[in-house]
Amino acid sequence: MSVPNNRPLVVFDKVSKRFGEFVAVKALNFSIDAGEFIAIMGPSGCGKTTTLRMLAGLEQPTEGTIRINDQLMNNVKPHERDTPMVWQSLALFPFLNARENVEFGLKMRNQDAATRRAKALDWLERLGVAEFAERNVETLSGGQRQRVALARSLVTEPRMLLLDEPLSALDAHLVIRMQSVLTRLQRELGITFVYVTHSQSEAFAMADRVVIMSNGEIAQTGLPRDIYREPASRFVAEFVGLNNIISGKVIGSTDGIVSVDSPIGRFTVGSVSAAGGQGGSSVYRTGDQVTFVIAADLVEVSRPQPQADNVVVCSLISEEFIGSVVTLFLETSDGTELKVQIQERELETLDHTSGGTFYLSWRQGNAHLLPS
Amino acid sequence: MSTDQPVHRRRFSGYPLTWRLPIIFWQILFFVGPLLFMVAMSFFLVKNYRMVEAFEFKNWEKMLTRGYFWDSYFLTLILATLSTIVTSLLAFPAAFALAFKVSPSVRRWAIFLLVIPFFTSYLVRIFSWYVILAESGVINAMLATIGLGPYTMLNTKFGTLVGYMTLTLPLVMVLQTFALSNIDRNLVQAAHNLGCSPWRAVYTVIVPLAKTGLIVAALFCFILSFGDFVSPYYLGGSKPPTLPILIIDTTKSGQQWPRAAVVAVMMMVTLITIAFAALSLAYRKRASR
Amino acid sequence: MNWLSWGLRGYTLLLFVFVFAPIFFSVIFSFNSARFPTIPLESFTFHWYQTIWSDPDVWTAVRNSVVVSFCTSIIATFLGFCTAYTDYRYNFRFKGAYLALVLLPPTIPLIIMALAMLAWFSKIGASGQLWSIIIAHSVLTAPFAMAICRLRLNQMDGDLEAAAWNLGASEWRSMREVIVPFCKPAIVSSLFLTAAVSFDEFAISWFVSGLNKTVPVLILEIVQGNIDPQVNAIGTFVFLVSMTLVIIAQLFFTLRHSKVL
Repeated sequence: MSVPNNRPLVVFDKVSKRFGEFVAVKALNFSIDAGEFIAIMGPSGCGKTTTLRMLAGLEQPTEGTIRINDQLMNNVKPHERDTPMVWQSLALFPFLNARENVEFGLKMRNQDAATRRAKALDWLERLGVAEFAERNVETLSGGQRQRVALARSLVTEPRMLLLDEPLSALDAHLVIRMQSVLTRLQRELGITFVYVTHSQSEAFAMADRVVIMSNGEIAQTGLPRDIYREPASRFVAEFVGLNNIISGKVIGSTDGIVSVDSPIGRFTVGSVSAAGGQGGSSVYRTGDQVTFVIAADLVEVSRPQPQADNVVVCSLISEEFIGSVVTLFLETSDGTELKVQIQERELETLDHTSGGTFYLSWRQGNAHLLPS
Repeated sequence: MSTDQPVHRRRFSGYPLTWRLPIIFWQILFFVGPLLFMVAMSFFLVKNYRMVEAFEFKNWEKMLTRGYFWDSYFLTLILATLSTIVTSLLAFPAAFALAFKVSPSVRRWAIFLLVIPFFTSYLVRIFSWYVILAESGVINAMLATIGLGPYTMLNTKFGTLVGYMTLTLPLVMVLQTFALSNIDRNLVQAAHNLGCSPWRAVYTVIVPLAKTGLIVAALFCFILSFGDFVSPYYLGGSKPPTLPILIIDTTKSGQQWPRAAVVAVMMMVTLITIAFAALSLAYRKRASR
Repeated sequence: MNWLSWGLRGYTLLLFVFVFAPIFFSVIFSFNSARFPTIPLESFTFHWYQTIWSDPDVWTAVRNSVVVSFCTSIIATFLGFCTAYTDYRYNFRFKGAYLALVLLPPTIPLIIMALAMLAWFSKIGASGQLWSIIIAHSVLTAPFAMAICRLRLNQMDGDLEAAAWNLGASEWRSMREVIVPFCKPAIVSSLFLTAAVSFDEFAISWFVSGLNKTVPVLILEIVQGNIDPQVNAIGTFVFLVSMTLVIIAQLFFTLRHSKVL
């Protein structure tokens, strides 16, 4: 299916996992290439962690097969695999010091004490925590523990590293720093990273490819940018980014331009996606119910009425100040809420505190029709 | 596309059984076995001072038709019930204080202290009480200095209760303290805010919320008192004997093990009945109004 | 309402006095020369300690008690640890029955256990041996060991064992390298606590010991005879032993991650 010449490192073939009545993962098909940084992302309970745990052998698929390197892995026990994992809880051994923690994997591979020690110190050095080698891991800070956990997983030089929400316990500024540490490491080592997260910013900042999961199924797979700009479903559009989702009826379709009649106005949307993605090939007939998406950061907001198509008249309800970016929440006369994201410095030109009418508009090409 | 059938068979592993089986074997051999054998033994016969395996109801007839058995039975029941009520009531204010009126570190220390006597020689403590409560003992000597007494405290129900409480009070205090500490303080605060007086709050909010723990504490108190032979023997004078003393007398004198087994089985039946009643009361859901 | 809360505290203190009075007086009277212990105290003496020191029966009983406690603590802790781990790690059918089987013994009156053990051991031809006491005590104390180990396992990061597998340790190896080291404080604590319980237990020991008396059985027999202040001396010694064991047990149990071990 994907990249026929270059054999993928991991192949999931119709993999399902049930816990009693609960279906955690449904007939999952996907593959991971060697050297790829792939992020599996979704809300809690979507099956992303179960997928990762199946890769590590901590759960057995109920149906289907998982192959790593063309080798059937279904009945291979966790310790017989080479799939080290960085845990959400880090799972450092509290009765061992930092160096002994890093040595653990080597000890299990029966390497001698001197080699173990040298390699462990080497990795602690590489991750910048060599000075804490003999310290009790309980006394280290979150960021330091994170690095020890990474060193522990990488010291055995695996071909693939699994990461289960490793940054979720860190402060925001440390997350950014660890993200660059992770991407740099992945590039230097050239190994596969499988990164599970619920955080869009982590996934998009680091991954070469993102898999979005929902209710045990893959909702979309693709490059971060494609997922961001061209969500394949309403779920993805709601989960990823900050999107305005507008539904309506098709009233006409010519040359790949679809006109939509919605409760808040008439709009035109391009039906051929720029990236040739999933939305492209559908044929829209008059009267069809369609939904399109316009990202909040692609919406222009102005006080004088703009000379453009796709204009909506709104009043301002509230604003959310995040830093350099501000999100405005606006409302049309029928109560539909719309979101706009603009630069903070643009805010002054709007004179937004005085109330009154705002005009939202967007370029036809920026709106994205969801596949029906 | 792979067409081979996925193999979902799990390899057999002895690992889980290694941890699961030892206690099963051990308990069946040395816990369930002895108890079942004891029940069987209550149907055995004793001929010429030797036990003969049989299935006869002679021992049951002999014991259950005798007045002295039923005297012992009701005495033991009454003493254990009395001990449960008295200990629970006496312990409650202290547990309340430990749960609500002191700092967590004081509470930890108090529990630490209360756990210690539970694991120290009960026998020696009872002997000590014997000396303290005696006619010329410490308490009467102290009372004499203010011109009171002497009071007879040994060989009375009072003496027995003191002994029972030596055994049960620390445990009941600990269990009650745990039960009360687990109450959500906000609920107590809410009761106060709604104009509930502190006294009312105790029996309308605190006791119902801690009900399960309080009943379990009382149940343990009952079981311990019901089965103890040291206090009624040394401090209570054992006239009439309680059921545990009856078991000892019957076993040690004349090798009448089967009859002792009858007494033991009767005790077990009583305890199981009471435990079930107590636990169903403890875990009963409140009737919805 | 301040007087009320001070009243409550005073009352609580009174109950503590009640709980510790027998221990306190036992120690005091063990150094008192009077034949019948009461107040006012007579002169200070080591006489009662000298008496028990020179009594060979006491020495035999101490030796028996040490052997019984030591063996009991090891068997009970092993059984308790296995069970705690099983409960922590696995779910299976009849798990409720399994746990009941393990946890019930302490709720059964000792005198009943004593009779049942006596009958059973004479049935299988094993009565009157030290190891019959050891077996009976292990049944009795295994639940305590189980509780201590289980509480420790509760404190364990749920991913720790899986993390060990993930790093290449087989189940057996992770038991040795992760679970046991993590539970070490609890295991030590359990060894001491079960030893303390066994050291003080007299009902079962009395029934099944035959001629191999342990210290509590000896006390029971002395007490049955007469008031003898020797008991206070032995009692003080017994308190000292069991309190030491219990305090060590508690210290280990509250030590969270003991590097000293």
